[in-house]
Amino acid sequence: MRNLLLPTLPLLALAAASPLAAQDVVPPAEAAVEGAAGARYEPADDLERSLWFQMEEAERSLKTSQQVIRDPELNAYLRDVLCRTVGPECAGIRLYVVRSPYFNATMAPNGAMTVWTGLLLRAQSEAQLAAVLGHEFAHFKRRHSVQLFREAKSKSNAAAFLSFTGVGLLLSIGLMESIFSFSREMEQEADLDGLKLLSAAGYDPAQVPLIWEQLLDERDATLVARGRDKDKRKARAGLGDTHPPSQARVDYLRAAIGGLEPAGPILGEDRYREKMAAWWPQFLDDQLKLNDDGGSLFLIESIAKANGWTPWIAYARAEFHRRRAAPGDVEAAIGHYSEAIARGGDLPELWRGRGFALRKAGRTEEARADFVEYLGRVPDAPDRAMVSTLAGVN
Amino acid sequence: MKRLPVLALAAALVALPAAPVLAGWKLVEEDKPVAVAKSAMRVTPSENWNRWTARPVKQGETWTRDGVNLNELYIVAGLPAGMTLYKDVQKKERPLPKLSAKLDLTEIPEFYESSTRLVLNTSVFQMTAVEPAKMGGQDAVKFAFEYSVEGSPLKRRGMGLGTMVKGQLYLIAFAAPATHFFDRDKAEVEAIMASVTF
Repeated sequence: MRNLLLPTLPLLALAAASPLAAQDVVPPAEAAVEGAAGARYEPADDLERSLWFQMEEAERSLKTSQQVIRDPELNAYLRDVLCRTVGPECAGIRLYVVRSPYFNATMAPNGAMTVWTGLLLRAQSEAQLAAVLGHEFAHFKRRHSVQLFREAKSKSNAAAFLSFTGVGLLLSIGLMESIFSFSREMEQEADLDGLKLLSAAGYDPAQVPLIWEQLLDERDATLVARGRDKDKRKARAGLGDTHPPSQARVDYLRAAIGGLEPAGPILGEDRYREKMAAWWPQFLDDQLKLNDDGGSLFLIESIAKANGWTPWIAYARAEFHRRRAAPGDVEAAIGHYSEAIARGGDLPELWRGRGFALRKAGRTEEARADFVEYLGRVPDAPDRAMVSTLAGVN
Repeated sequence: MKRLPVLALAAALVALPAAPVLAGWKLVEEDKPVAVAKSAMRVTPSENWNRWTARPVKQGETWTRDGVNLNELYIVAGLPAGMTLYKDVQKKERPLPKLSAKLDLTEIPEFYESSTRLVLNTSVFQMTAVEPAKMGGQDAVKFAFEYSVEGSPLKRRGMGLGTMVKGQLYLIAFAAPATHFFDRDKAEVEAIMASVTF
């Protein structure tokens, strides 16, 4: 587990979060949740100080991380959504977009928040993104990390204490239950706070449980494709539970939504889609390289459902089948590449991919024509030498 | 989480490679042909290398000159269909792709990339060149790539040479920091790649 978390520290590349973004924000009339985000927390004793030092040290070394996406527009958008959701207190948060295909976001007690690209791929509306950002912010505001640390210390809970060395101070939404199984109450607290923030900001709170339901469904798809049993959807978390999204979470969120004042039901789907359009193909490509057939296909289907048909979704489908290479996949891949091309797709990799699929199907002449087309469209392709040989145009 | 040395590459990375108690390093002497993983595939280095006595997979060997963080040569001789390129230590949650006997040599770079991304837990990995080549007289594919791993600002470069013979994978892959080490050892690694005999 540790190695999953490590990446999250690198977050800190004090990215491009534009300070201007916060100025557009209309703060909620009153703070929607409890806590004290204003003052910076000062470690109380030597042990805490040493942990803080480790964290900041880790952050420093990660400021130059190659995993952090520094694109100013993407960062400004995420910061904008964060500030819309939590109000002016967003100024205390440093937000980093980490290129990792898994669903996750983390919050460190010093205000460093990470959002992983796998989350951006899975969220289907701005409201869903806002839900996660609000949840993480609630951890920060309630100083959950510090509380957890104190609790672990006071109970002399060796296992819990160990989890705090270095990266343990991060609260991670994707891995929460596996690392801090003793902290489910805080997790629920953050979920409910997040819901209030979301609702106060005018977003549709009904979007929140949808994220978790979709994660449960994706998890099932992954397991089924690997020939394993689906996870049991228990309403109560057990001691040995390793996977975060639980049915319990969906249940209490639904119950809490029922008690909220009806608020402006902003989904922000169009805006979200527009901002993510340039990124999804790359994020999906990272997913396709994970050897997770069930999860990948599930995601492609749900993105297709939310977005309608687009050439890059057709391309992703085609690539999925070509890579999986199960019986019938070559033909399916050729079909999807061809459909994308016929309907105006102009991504050069469409011809490259179809060329490889045709070649595999023994349709060498057609494959060659596609390779020639690909080379014509990308004269400096990294695989030019290989493809030229296959095209017979050495 | 138990980590075996096998994550040959991973050693270079983030995590704590806990070498098994008995694993050690043996000298691979320069200018002497050496059989890889007791197979019929032989290579001849022109410098001295160190071979990890623990094999990442039965058909694979890890070599280094200065430590796997600085230069790592991974040589696989005859990986059979159904096997993974590295030891599948996280097979429950993050299984590695299994080699297909039908894998075309043009697909070797994709197989390498997907396996390596999973083992290194990184998405910052990019193929920078793919070209036809020869390996021990067989048609082969040569590829170059760049990557970096979580928590490190270091850019790494690598290159690979692979072929499929009778449904089995033969591969030599090299990775090193882009700064200094990759360029320093590139010629030596290319010479090793050119020295392959079956």
